[in-house]
Amino acid sequence: MPTLTIDNKTVTVPEGKTILEAAEELGIVIPHFCYHKALGAVGACRMCAVTIHEGSVKGLKMSCLVKVEDGMVVTTSDERSVEFRSRVTEWQMLNHPHDCPVCDEGGECQLQEMTIAGGHGIRRYDGPKRTYTNQDLGPFIAQEMNRCIQCYRCVRTYKDYCGGRDFGVLGSRNRVFFGRFKDGMLESDFSGNIVDACPTGVFTDRTYRFKSRFWDLQEAPSICTHCSLGCSTIPGGRYRELQRVRSGINEEVNGFFICDRGRFGSSYVNHPERQRQARSAGETVSVEHALEQLAVEARRLIRSHGSEALLLLGSHRASLETNWLLNQWARELGARPPVFSAHGGRQATARAVAASKAPLASLEQVRQSDFVLVAGCDPLSEAPMLAVALRQMVRNGGQVFVYDPRAVELPCEFDHQAVTPLELHEFLNDGGADGKHMRELLQQAKSPVLVGGGDLLGAYGMVQLQSLAERLANAERSCLIYPVLAGPDSYAAGLLADDRSETLLERLESGKVRMLVCAETDPLLESSAPGRIAELLTGLEQLVVLDHLPTAVAKDADLFIPTRTPLECDGSFINNEGRVQAFARVLEPGIPLAQENQGGHPSREFSTTTPGAEPWAAIEALQSLLSQNLPLAELRARIVADVQHLQGLAQLEAGHPGYQLCGGAIKASVSDRLPEQPEGSLQLIVSPARYGSDLSSRYSEKLEPRFVGARLQMHPLDMVARQLQEGDEVTLDSDLGSFRLPLISQPDMARGCVVVEHNAAQTSLVPGSGVSYCQVGKEVTRD
Amino acid sequence: MNETPQLLFKNRRPGETVFMEGYRATGGYTALEKAFREMSPADLRGLVKEAALRGRGGAGFPTGVKWGFFPADAPGVKYLVCNCDEMEPGTYKDGELLKADPHQLVEGMIVSAYALQTEVGYIFIRYAYEPQAENLRRAIAEAAAAGYIGKNILGSGFDFELHVHGSAGRYILGEETALLNGLEGIRPNPRMKPPFPAVKGLFGRPTTVNNVETISNIPHIINGGAQWFKDLALTPDGSGTKLYGLSGHLNRTECFELPVGISLREIVEVYGKGVRGGKRFKACLPGGASTPYLTPAHMDVALDFSSLEQVGSRFGTAGVTVFDENTCMVAVTLNLIRFFARESCGWCTPCRDGLTMVRWLLETIDSGKGIPEHLEMLKEQLKNISGNSFCALAEGAMGPVAGLLNHFEQEIVDHIELGRCPLRK
Repeated sequence: MPTLTIDNKTVTVPEGKTILEAAEELGIVIPHFCYHKALGAVGACRMCAVTIHEGSVKGLKMSCLVKVEDGMVVTTSDERSVEFRSRVTEWQMLNHPHDCPVCDEGGECQLQEMTIAGGHGIRRYDGPKRTYTNQDLGPFIAQEMNRCIQCYRCVRTYKDYCGGRDFGVLGSRNRVFFGRFKDGMLESDFSGNIVDACPTGVFTDRTYRFKSRFWDLQEAPSICTHCSLGCSTIPGGRYRELQRVRSGINEEVNGFFICDRGRFGSSYVNHPERQRQARSAGETVSVEHALEQLAVEARRLIRSHGSEALLLLGSHRASLETNWLLNQWARELGARPPVFSAHGGRQATARAVAASKAPLASLEQVRQSDFVLVAGCDPLSEAPMLAVALRQMVRNGGQVFVYDPRAVELPCEFDHQAVTPLELHEFLNDGGADGKHMRELLQQAKSPVLVGGGDLLGAYGMVQLQSLAERLANAERSCLIYPVLAGPDSYAAGLLADDRSETLLERLESGKVRMLVCAETDPLLESSAPGRIAELLTGLEQLVVLDHLPTAVAKDADLFIPTRTPLECDGSFINNEGRVQAFARVLEPGIPLAQENQGGHPSREFSTTTPGAEPWAAIEALQSLLSQNLPLAELRARIVADVQHLQGLAQLEAGHPGYQLCGGAIKASVSDRLPEQPEGSLQLIVSPARYGSDLSSRYSEKLEPRFVGARLQMHPLDMVARQLQEGDEVTLDSDLGSFRLPLISQPDMARGCVVVEHNAAQTSLVPGSGVSYCQVGKEVTRD
Repeated sequence: MNETPQLLFKNRRPGETVFMEGYRATGGYTALEKAFREMSPADLRGLVKEAALRGRGGAGFPTGVKWGFFPADAPGVKYLVCNCDEMEPGTYKDGELLKADPHQLVEGMIVSAYALQTEVGYIFIRYAYEPQAENLRRAIAEAAAAGYIGKNILGSGFDFELHVHGSAGRYILGEETALLNGLEGIRPNPRMKPPFPAVKGLFGRPTTVNNVETISNIPHIINGGAQWFKDLALTPDGSGTKLYGLSGHLNRTECFELPVGISLREIVEVYGKGVRGGKRFKACLPGGASTPYLTPAHMDVALDFSSLEQVGSRFGTAGVTVFDENTCMVAVTLNLIRFFARESCGWCTPCRDGLTMVRWLLETIDSGKGIPEHLEMLKEQLKNISGNSFCALAEGAMGPVAGLLNHFEQEIVDHIELGRCPLRK
């Protein structure tokens, strides 16, 4: 490893590093614009110039481009380097407006910092400035091209890194333009990243524009809740309003970027209909009172009707601590163990993943892999940043094969086999000729990863994937699994679930449950059979809901206890790869000032309390039911004592990359029976929509432009066989009921299937039930 | 009048283009036959190195050395690309050559491809050269019909296909890596080096990019031998002939094939027939718009790579543009800088914005609104732009500015002091 001297300090860094990176290790900041750790060095801005005194090249050089050499001597603040960099600043500022006070980026602008640091205060150039007409890029991104310094970071992020195709560089010389061919909403599902990437105020978050200065924002490291990947985010709030989310950095997981669902999907925190006060039988009560009532009634119920009368329902949205406390409470009450997911299929899948003996990959390992087989997963819908990770591996020369019935799209080259769910199970089991060929390819791969979509594969598919991974492992390398689950804490829900416990549906069907306590879940929206659940809920004596989303059950609950969102409290989640990560409180709950008095002047009445501050963290609420109030660290220590392999949780801090659990600590019994296909039926695939399938994005107003209507997709040849045409209203009959949906033709999907998207417009068919069947036909009009 | 042996221009006659028949009549394709039948690819590469041929596109890099870096024996697809994106102001030699005798380039491409073992060749041609592109397409078809292009050429087992590809028409496409991007159909920004094209060029494969005139010289070297070729030059370390494109304030502005190392005086007085209107010679660009000016003090300098470098200029493309005594050198430089600033691809800051700043400074001085500080600023720009841009465009653009500051600083001072151009009464 070469040792070099930078500004009289000596450092040893690995071969192949650049001077800029070596300086970073010494804590020496070399000014730069176009260099970005994820995007690499391109040598465009010329800001990072340093002087090399000893080395194979000498003199003024760009530190982002020159690789370190043993014995190299570099200075970063000598007269020549400083002189050149100040010229670069002057060039960059030729056209840039001198109006930081009215710019939305002011205060978190790299150009502002560099310009001030470089001492460029007076403009010598008094020629005409280059100006542009801005484009309307849709509701998420605002553009102010006059501020552009042409570092090319936006296009490298949008196009090169994330694979967007409708945004690029236009024009040349000092009239280079970064945008679209014509006005219009940016199409990529990762468009918001250009806001983070832009070092000045060209691209700003339109949903946050002119709301706050950076230094006024309350920010804290958090974990995204919109899928199971657990990307690192940094939400920012002010005036009791969650105003924006930017990407956090976790090089093991998301890297430097996040998807638009995560970025623009957190306004549920400010939802105007959010239930902020506790209610008992329709009357507003204090949270303390409601909790006291719950404690008393739960105890009485168990005493008089036995352990099965009370059913506690955890959730893949609730934190690890919340789910664990639910378990504790059940134990203390002598109730049956809780059910941790309203959806039986999803719970079994999560449990099968938590029980996996095959090692799980991190998202970084997916990026580093040379061969990925994606089985039954549509990354852009189920785990958007996985799609970006796959793009990176393809850019590095890797290959992606997707076996999925849907018309899967990815922002990279890949091979797609449109197979039905039944064919997919068969492929994973013995495979036939195609499977044999795939196995050979996987065997030849240096670092293969098997991605499995939990919703489509189900628990049995996950077990099949694990045994495939075990067969593909050899002495030199293992074959990793990358399971995709339903929610941010699905893994924990699977881990904590009792292997013998029945599903929510089975428990309710038994008729013994008198009280159902839903902890941050809505079984009407999140269970496998919403229609049947709705009927069963009417038979309950009491429905208790703890939640922060204004769902139907939250509004109908006999007893409602408002909880804090993950942005308003501390806690932890276990993501799909078994990584335990902590999130920290960003802001205190309260009705946003902007919402009080319908956007008029804030209340002129003074009070010592904050309006809408009633919600408790679910952790606090459950601890109070257990008559305890431990600080988070102590609570986590108790969890570790109870669940041994969660060791490390005690030291966990928000903002750290988290740690991955070793799998195989629990055992899961998984049925390998697939339901028989009825004559003339089609296989039904319920797929999460890209936006609005997870509840927190559904209640986020900012994402509404991305919501689509309910539709039924079918292969054109299947349509011909049934004499159907695109646009027909058709009836879908399944075990879950009968639905009328408009039909669209989808030539890239598997034959013998129909695909229905689960979103805000179609809530009754929920993904995660594995293989199921339906009949589709034109509705018969009866006279 | 012209005593120089004519290699490249031997078939050049006004208004005529020579095709297969005429080209063969003067010894066309004999070099190809000789190369394929008698020489190995390594022999050919050695011959070109021995002949000391230097690139004719402007940079003057020794062709044999460039070919020496090329992994000719490596398996897989490799490319030979001919750079015919001739857009340097004052340079029109390649266009003249292809107007007269396109088969020379085609033959040169085939033997060069054989020497480098590249199966595919592209001629990347300036969009304004459509008639020349048409000549090339016809010549390629004729060569293919004669069995010189295609599979198993002359039974050698070597296959070669040759394509003509039009340029979109920006100056930056003449930069070899930008050209490769343009050829791939992506935005023609220059690429980072390393990796050099010889390692990772067109479509990620080993590629050599050579100029039209360079490649057209190869058959003549094969026919005449390395020593003969070297002896054509008048300077001891020079070699071959050169196409000199004359322009500017001369009585005759034409393209001539003359020895490397001819003196500027001979060019101006004999071939240019003296400065127009009997005026005095004030300055010239010796090799295209990106080469620093020569002055009357340089009249006896030999026009060759090393001798021009010694006087702070460059041989470039040998497009000689002459300015008479009534020419304002600030205005000339401004005119050139306007071109370069307009043709910047916009990738790096010194070129994109630095040249804009230089243009503004020259405009201000030229219009009589300059102040003494502007002269200092101009020097500062020269110091910081030259050598610090991503590719050679900005470096070249600052060539005339360097010449202006070295030889005509007083003219800048006069503009500033008088508040107008001193040459305008």
